[in-house]
Parts: sequence; C-alpha cells; structure tokens
Amino acid sequence: MKIYFLIAILPLTWLSAEEHWSLRAPVKSPVPALAENPIDAFVQDKLAKETLAPSPLADRLTLVRRVFLDVIGLPPSPEEAAAFLNDPAPDAFEHLVDRLLASPRFGERWARNWLDVVRFAETHGFEMNQERPNAWPYRDYVIQAFNSDLPYDRFVLEQLAGDVLGSDAATGFIVGGSMDQVTSPDPVLTANQRADELHDMVSTTGTAFLGLSVGCARCHDHKFDPISQTEYFALRAAFEGVRHGERPLQGALVVSPQQETAALRRQIADTWRKLDADAPLATTELRPSVNSQRNVERIAPVKAKWVRFVIAATTQAEPCLDELEIYATDSAENIAPQGRLTASGTYAGSPKHTLAHLTDGLHGNDFSWISDTPGKGWVTVELPEVREINGIVWGRDLRREFADRLAVQYQIEIATEPDAWRIVASSGNRQAFAPDAVTTVPKEIVSLEARLKSMESPPLIYGGTFQDVPPPTMRLNRGDPMQPRELVNAAGIAAVPVAFTENDSVLLPSIGKICGQEISRPPTENQRRRLALAQWIASPANPLTARVIANRLWQQHFGEGLVSTPSDFGHNGSRPSHPELLDWLACELMEHGWSLKHLHRLILTSHTFQQASEARPEAMIKDAGDQWLWRFRPRRLDAEVLHDTILSVSGQLDLRMGGPGFSGFEPNTNYVRVYNAKLTFSGDDFRRMIYMTKVRMQPEGTFGAFDCPDAGQVAPKRNRSTTPLQALNLLNSPFMLQQATALAERVQQEAPGGQVERAFMLCFGRSPTSTEASQALVLVTEHGLPALARALLNANEFVTLP
Amino acid sequence: MSDPLSHAGRHLLDRRHFLKLGGTGLGGVALTSLLSRDRLLASTHQAPLRPLIDAAHPYAPRPSHYLPKAKQVLVIFCSGAVSHLDTFDYKPELVKRHDTPMPGSSGLITFQGENGNLVKPLWEFKPRGQSGKMISEMLPNLAELADDLCFIHSMTAKSNTHGPAENQMSTGFTLDGFPSMGAWVSYALGSESADLPSFVAIPDPRGVPQTGPNHWNSAFLPAAFQGTAFNSDRPIPNLQRPSTLSQNTDRATRDFLATLNDQHLSRHTGDSDLAARIASYELAARMQLRAAEVADFKHETVATLEQYGANDANKTKAGFGRNCLLARRLLERGVRFVQLFNGSYAMGEGVGNWDGHKSLQQQYSIHAPILDQPCAALIRDLKQRGMLEDTLVAWVTEFGRMPTFQKGASGRDHNPKGFTVWLTGAGVKRGFSYGATDEFGYRAVQNETSIYDLHATILHLLGLDHERLSFYHNGVERRLTDVHGEVIRDILT
Repeated sequence: MKIYFLIAILPLTWLSAEEHWSLRAPVKSPVPALAENPIDAFVQDKLAKETLAPSPLADRLTLVRRVFLDVIGLPPSPEEAAAFLNDPAPDAFEHLVDRLLASPRFGERWARNWLDVVRFAETHGFEMNQERPNAWPYRDYVIQAFNSDLPYDRFVLEQLAGDVLGSDAATGFIVGGSMDQVTSPDPVLTANQRADELHDMVSTTGTAFLGLSVGCARCHDHKFDPISQTEYFALRAAFEGVRHGERPLQGALVVSPQQETAALRRQIADTWRKLDADAPLATTELRPSVNSQRNVERIAPVKAKWVRFVIAATTQAEPCLDELEIYATDSAENIAPQGRLTASGTYAGSPKHTLAHLTDGLHGNDFSWISDTPGKGWVTVELPEVREINGIVWGRDLRREFADRLAVQYQIEIATEPDAWRIVASSGNRQAFAPDAVTTVPKEIVSLEARLKSMESPPLIYGGTFQDVPPPTMRLNRGDPMQPRELVNAAGIAAVPVAFTENDSVLLPSIGKICGQEISRPPTENQRRRLALAQWIASPANPLTARVIANRLWQQHFGEGLVSTPSDFGHNGSRPSHPELLDWLACELMEHGWSLKHLHRLILTSHTFQQASEARPEAMIKDAGDQWLWRFRPRRLDAEVLHDTILSVSGQLDLRMGGPGFSGFEPNTNYVRVYNAKLTFSGDDFRRMIYMTKVRMQPEGTFGAFDCPDAGQVAPKRNRSTTPLQALNLLNSPFMLQQATALAERVQQEAPGGQVERAFMLCFGRSPTSTEASQALVLVTEHGLPALARALLNANEFVTLP
Repeated sequence: MSDPLSHAGRHLLDRRHFLKLGGTGLGGVALTSLLSRDRLLASTHQAPLRPLIDAAHPYAPRPSHYLPKAKQVLVIFCSGAVSHLDTFDYKPELVKRHDTPMPGSSGLITFQGENGNLVKPLWEFKPRGQSGKMISEMLPNLAELADDLCFIHSMTAKSNTHGPAENQMSTGFTLDGFPSMGAWVSYALGSESADLPSFVAIPDPRGVPQTGPNHWNSAFLPAAFQGTAFNSDRPIPNLQRPSTLSQNTDRATRDFLATLNDQHLSRHTGDSDLAARIASYELAARMQLRAAEVADFKHETVATLEQYGANDANKTKAGFGRNCLLARRLLERGVRFVQLFNGSYAMGEGVGNWDGHKSLQQQYSIHAPILDQPCAALIRDLKQRGMLEDTLVAWVTEFGRMPTFQKGASGRDHNPKGFTVWLTGAGVKRGFSYGATDEFGYRAVQNETSIYDLHATILHLLGLDHERLSFYHNGVERRLTDVHGEVIRDILT
C-alpha cells in the first residue's frame, strides 16, 4: 500500500532536465571583480552577501604543513619546512605547490580518494572474503593517472573500456566491488548473485562519474530523479558481458628479455632434433600412428625447393596445423620460416588461424592454420633456394592442448621444379589412427617448456573477463531476476542531454583509431557498448561529469564539497553552496583539457585555501560550519595520512612505489579467510598505506578505526568521527609502540643534545614553547625519550590538518 | 543530556541539507530543534529523524522518538542456520511421512542441489511448561523456558547463502557495507553507560561469525557506532597499557599529552573537534578500567559460574558460558546493544557452526550442548534479576533448513522460506507463538514475516520509528529497514 502511495505522489516531484540545476550545462558566469584568483572572487562575493569577512593568510608554518599533508599526504620534514619559511620569493608558495603536484607522492595520496569513491578493495567480500592477489594493478593505474595528470575524460574512458584503449588495468574499476564466491546449483541464487554483481557495476558507475543514484532505479523508476527502471537496465546492458575475474594483461611488457625466451626456444628445438635423429625413416614399413602433438617425418636427404603438405582426411572438420617445420642437412635450424607460404584456402575471419601462423615458430591453437575445406587442404612452403632436406616435423598443437581437426590421411611432397611433385612421406605406412596416441616428451623438455611458459605469460589483472557478445538484457520486474520482461538495449539516461551512440568510428569493422587510440582489431559488441557508455559520460556536453569531479577535488581540499552530497547531484542531493563557482571550475576543467592538476593548482593557490583556520567568534556565530568559507577549517587527518605521517616522522617510511601490496593481517589458509591483525611489523609493512592490501569489510588493526571506509558500498565522503577506540589504538597498539621507539631512536641519533627540540620539530614542524620544553624534559628525564615520542604522536596538533 | 544545539552537534550534521529544509520557511537549526524535541512534524509521515550527536560525547544517551518498552537489546545470533525442524517448529506430518518425497518437490534445487525424502525431526519433541509448547530434546534447558519465549515461526530471509543472509539478519541488507542493527540503535540512542561502548559484539570462542565484522559494522555511520568486538577470552584490542610500559610511565605520558592538548586547544579555541578528541582520551581511560572490570568474574558466585557452564570440561561450552555471563554483565552496566554469537566461520561444513548439510545429527550433537545450558542460564539470570523488564532478547539465525535430507547425505540444506526466531523480555508476549510454516515446515504460510518486520519491531520496542530513523548516504536517506518493514503488533504486550 505504501508503495502505491509513493508512486502516486512522487513522480510529481521529478524534475526535468530544464528544471534541475545539475542537468543544465555549466556556464562560466562573469567573475566578480573582487580578487585576482577567480575562486577567491566567487567566494568573497558570497562572503560579502553573508556579511562575513575572509580570514587573513595563514602563518607560513601552518601553510607549509597544510599543503604538504593535503597534497601529498605526508608532513614536510623540518628541512623542507625551513626551506619554504626562508624562501623570500613572492611566489614561493606557488613554487611549492608546483613541486608537490609534480611529486610521485601526489598520486599516492589522491588515488586513495578515488578508490573510496569507487569502493575498490582487494578481497571479494561476503562470507569467504578471500584476497584478489591481482587487483593491485588498478590501484597503480589510478596512482599513475593522477601523477601523469591523465585528462579526466580519458580517465573515465579508460576505466570503462581500457581493454580497447590500451590501458588494460583500468577496467579494475568495473569489478572493484564485492562478489560472493559461494556458488550453488540453485538457479535462483545464482541469478540473484549475478544481478547483484551487475548492480554494483551500474550503481558505482552512476555515482562515481555522474553523481546520480542510478542504483535506486533497480526495482522501480527512481522516486526522485528522472531515471526510469528501463534506463537502469539500459546501463546494465553495457556491463552485461562483464564478469568478475582475472585476465592476462594485454600489451604488458614481457618481463623477460626477448633473447632469453629465444634462447630457451632454441634449446627446446635442439633437444628435439637430437631425439628426432632416432625416429624411424619415413620409408620404414610400419610407423606409429599420427598424433595431435608432434609427428616426425625423417627422410633420406633429398634436394627440395618446394615442400607440400597435402591432407586428404581429418578426425573431424577442417584440418588444423599448428606448425610445419623443415630441416636441412646443412643447418640445425628449422628453415620453414624462410619460405613463402601458399595454401588451398584458409579458414576465414579468425586471427588465431592464419596461414602465417604455420611457420611463425609460435606454438598452440592460437597460432595455427586451419583450411577452409572440411577434411581437406594443402599448404606449400617455397624455400628461397634449393636445399638438401632430411626431416619434416608437424603437429596439430605443439602445446599439446587441442587434439581435434587432426590430419590422419596426408602425404608430404617435394619438388625442385614447379609442379614436379614427389612423395617423400605419407600416412600410408603409419598404423591406423589411434585417438589416444601421444608423443613422449622427455622431462628435460617439459621443464624447459614450463620455464618458457612462465616467462611468456603476461601478468594477470583482476580487471574482469569479457564475453564478446553479451547475453541479452531484460528489464526485471521489481528487480527480480526470476521475472524478466522486455529486452533492453544499451543506452544512456534520456534526461542527461547527450546522445548515446555506438558511434560510427566504433562500429566500423575496420582497423583504425578509437578515441585517438590505434586498435589492432575491431571492437567486440561488449567493447562497443562500454565504449559508447564511456563516451556518453566523458562527453563535454554531459553537464554532470565535469561538475562532479570538480566538486570532488574541492571536497578533498576543504573537507566539504560545494555540493555536500558528492555522489548525488540529483533531486535528493543538496544544492551547490556556490553554484557559479562550481560551474566556473567545471568549465575551466574542460577548457584546460580536463587537467585535474590545473584545478588543483587554482584551488591551492587561492587565498581561500591559504587563509587562516582560527575560529573567529563573530564568524562562528553566523556560520559555524564554515559553509561560506570564511576560514580554512582544520580537520583530523585521514587514516592513511596519519599512518604515513607517523612512519615519516619516525624515519621508517619506505617509499617504494607500486606492485603487489603488503597485508595488515596474518596469513591464513582457511577457505573462509580469517583476518587476524598483524602484531609485529617490518619491511614492507612500512610502505605507504595505499599499498596495504585493502581488505573489504575488515578494518585494519590500528588505523581502520579512523573512519576507514569498508569498501562494501561506495564512500564518496568519509565520516570524521572521534572515538575512544581510536585513542586506545594510538596509545597502545604494537604498531604505535614500535614507531614511538623508532622516533625516539631517530631523535637520539640526530640530536643527542637537543632531543626535545628535534622531536617537536619532526612532529609539529616547530620548536616547543618554553612551558612545553620544560614539561617535556621532565618526562624524558623520568620516563625516557620513547614516552615523549608516544605522547607527541597522539597529540591533537600531530593528527590535525591545520 | 547534551544541548541539542551545541556547536559540536551542529558540526556533525549535514549543514547543507538543513539549508534545503530551511527553504520551507523554517530556519534549518530551528527545524532540527523541533524535530529533536518533539514530533511536531509527525504528520509529515516520512520526515527523517537524525539524532543530534555531540562529538565530545557520542555515547551520551539520546531520547527515543516515543516512550520505549525496552531500553536495551540482547541479540543471540546462531551462525550457520539452525534447523527449526529439529528444535522449535514441531511438524508431526514429518514423522508420518518420514522417508517419502515431499509433495511438489520434484526437480527442486536448493543451495547444494537436489533433495531426497522428507526426514522426521532427529530429536524427539515434547510438550513444555504451562503452554505445552512442543520443543525438541535437542535443547532441553532452553525448552524449559518455553513459557517465557515468544516464537515467530514464519520468518523468511531473502538469500539462501550464509554471507548475504547473515548480512540481512544483522544489517537489513544482503549486500556488504550497511550499518548493523546495533550501530543504528547506538546512533539513535547512545548508551546508558558512561564508560563503555554503546554496542558490544561478543564473538563465539571458536571465532567470528561467517560474515565477521559485517555483523557489528557501522558502515557509513560514524565509527563511534561501530560495535566493539570482544569476548571473555579476547579482550578489546589495545585496551590495556602494553606490558612493556610501567603504570607510572603510562600515566606520566598521558598527563603530558593532556597538557599538550590543553595548550593547543587554548591556541585554537572554538574548534569542537579538538575538545572531542581530548574527551575521547578521557573516555578511553575510563573504559580501560570499566572494560577490565566487566570482564572480571571474580565477584560472581560459584553457583552462577556453574549455571552458565563457565567452567565446563567442554572448553567451547565453557567459553560460550563465559561469553553469556559477559553479556549479562555488559547489560547490567548499561550497554545499549549486545550481540552474542554462537557459532563461528566455517572451518569445514558444519564444523564451527550450525551448517548441518552432511550429517546433521552428529554435528548438532556437538553444537547443541554448547548453546543450550549457558544460553538458558543467561535468560534465567536476566529474568531473575528483573532485567527482562527493560531488556529485549532476540534469538536469531540467518535462515532455516529443509524438511528433507539432501540427496545422498544425512543433513538438511538451506531454507530461507520459513524458519523460527524467538524473542523474550521487554514488551513481547510470553509463552506465545506467532505465524506458522506449512505442514512440512518448508514455507511460511501463516503471518509470513520478514527480517525487515523483525527489525521494525525491535526498533519499535526501543521507541524508534523505523521509517524515520535515518542517515543520508550517497543519495539515499538510509534506514535499517530500507523501504520495508511492518511492526509485528500481534506479539507485543
């Protein structure tokens, strides 16, 4: 009854594109002539209307700590702080900003914010919650994207369709959410699990890029925003062919140098050739049956310019040959690759089965030739000159995986003059085909092959697997997978005024450029849909995309966005406090090639960012929440910044970037992963927290209590709460005790005669006051330097972004 | 009570949302004040109620929406899915039709696949107490309490796999990442205890339940409302001063820290977050004493320890017994919401919890004695001390089990279509049964009830309107009961 009630009244509150602010294109209003930096002009304009005055510039020590902690998530060393404090240049702060934005530490800090927004974690969630050991490449991708200032529109495109655009790891975005590893033969459960996975992809895409709670339209039309249930399923269609899982990283640099793999291949070939010398001559009375793996035709030395392999019958379908090797008496090497290939015909349309693969030296089904005629076909190798040959080797699949399409009746012919063919070997004197016939592979070759395989395998990424042609998408009545209704095609949301087209350049089956990217094969249906969605989102005509990201940057600098509901720009979200400023930033972003660093620089160099943080009583009365930005509001450091800052001042921080992360938990092999927090720390544990394997739902032992998102749902905005458990963790955890000791040792080593001074400088960037100094000295004298270190690391001043 | 209009309180509120509301003609702050003091807006049915949180005192008691029947809640959660058919839901038809196919079940595929024939209860049922309620011999001590319990036999769950189903029972949602019932209650009402967390989760001695910390997660609610997990064997992590530090050094360090923070605050007056953080260190210090005291059973009588089985030769039972005792002691000290777990994550099917797929009789013969005596002792003890007057107890499990054995096995598969939970204590009828499954116990057919309804009822008994207690997250005014739930009026006193 309630549902009907809502449906009856709520559509009246729907706002059309013309009415709702976020669906209108952003416009650059004239900048009020109040300040040099347009941000300040807009902010001060509002302040004046609210009869509030901006605060003066913060003192330089506050500024340098603020900008370091905000931009790179680490405090300035006393030396770095001093360099800025003593820099007389009028643009010293601008220089500092530029330097910090160029630091690799910047991407490590800002990646965390994005990973919150997209609920990224490196475990599956739910009951089993096992690790995803190959999810980290997406984390590294995000860090690199921010560091290299990848244009934001490109960042959007790549996360949805990086597999087409040469940025394979980026699709970790799509499958960054939870997935229930428990499987069941129950079709209803399986369908629900699948629907939940797709829902996660759709709703995360909607909130992260568009700031629209698209997920609300899963069971019914959105109750507040113009998103129909059909449109939800149209978005889902773009992901319908995506499944959770790992895939080999395309275009990855093969880790081992080429010459190493070439040497291994050579060694394998040589070993075979020695064995082949013992094979029966092709003219022997009765030879073993052919097999799919590797067949040797040893022949008495004979001159040849042409070698022809003629197939008369197969086990089934068109014959397939993986490789055809020709050996000459004067060389140890296979000479077939030097020849020119012709064939009776080649299986159409499959890049895996081209004629060139026949002599390319690459083994396996993916590098084989298939004839175009069932049961029949021939191939000819024309050598550059007449050679004396003594052996031919061939197989259906030299990797010994595929056994179908095997030639069972064949003959091998040679010629020195055109068409003067002479048979040198055939199936005629082989035993009748035995389906279980195999080639005996010596252990030596097995182990060489294994080494080669591991060297050639590209790394895996948890970036999803893609079905070329996705299954159909049906609208599900009430969101119930057991109640499919009509078919829905991939599309965008009509209220967003951008055309959704699987555009022509994408549809063309030819090879060319997509989004500026050279592609080697036409995109699949799956890829086309995701590309179309990505282009629809990343279009400069999309009124939401630039606004949403501009607002996120603002929020991360000031603690609160211009729109305080950063992933909801719909009717239920809040209105921007400074609509003209938000629009100006969005336009500025697009006009500057979607450069995020450009916006960061504008924000950081504004007076608004650099103003003092004092809570002026007269302003507090009017605007305690600092909505109008009359001060820079201080805030407690995020969990990760706190972790890294502690390691930084204790001198333990390990700045190695990228690659597999470290765990905050003890290893465990139970099939339902049990997470027990580590109690001792060393080595990798002192890397930045962005490299700590992000466990879904299980907070890390010491810092998790500081409002670390659980990655169960997206976290566009963290809480910033204060709890006694935070206090206990910072006071008593083994990690903190170890760091307090390390800090004490560092201080002792660096300033044996001025420990208190040095400890304050490291932790707060300033000298102690005389009261503090005398109290600290008493503490150190009576209880040792680690006691002082433990206190400083717990201090409000230490954990606050000033 | 804290001033609802303190700076700190206002800081924690979403200020722009007020502005939007402010557009209706009332000033944002004035409107909040109205919302918090009384329910002038009650006629606007859907208006969300967000409690005002004083950042310096997040556990301070906060008023309910209306007069509550219960002040505290104890949830006893049996992880792994207890078979209702072998415990509380008596089905004589199963005895009659033992080893025959369940009508209409041909081709039925449940969680693990195909099912065999109907199987009668593996323990005998007997009438109990004045009410004559039929309860099996599997849990003889709990059975004796029949006249005190309020059974809901028509519970249903949305998922038939443990992860999502446990999520739903504790958070209302099958997905990961939603706040647990205890976090919602603690967010709404704070604590009656000044020095203990408002929400404590007590994991089983064998380990955490199947979806682990999801059960006590605060998710997008502030971290202050996260359940603090500890039990009688594993204290709150980092609670106590490290053994390498002397008490004197610890005290001197914290005194120095306090003066440092005071001096810093005097340079930054007006920032309530700083004051809140100072307060959190003071609360931590009190909690260190109080949490140690609550877990120290030295003043409990031998008879009490005996009743709870706290020194039983069965180590798991003894551990669970001590956890039951800990639960009572936490409730006595005013902790708002206690979650007591029986059964852990899976360490093999049916090992560690109630997931009796393969050989149910054998497995439940291990699990039942661990639960039975200590749990019954806890209920009796609460009753005897008069605590059931304002404490609501809910015994739950994530779903039930099939009336059939699985094909080729001697256990029952998952069944979310109908199962039993029971309540006792403040505000609920005693010796009462509500709802029913069909003749085989397969499907709820009378007064079908959802987990949303159960949650709505629990909130209702605490004086909270489940349709209005909300928190804005990511585009949605979130509730424990999503957009569902009806208070189960028939079971209320």
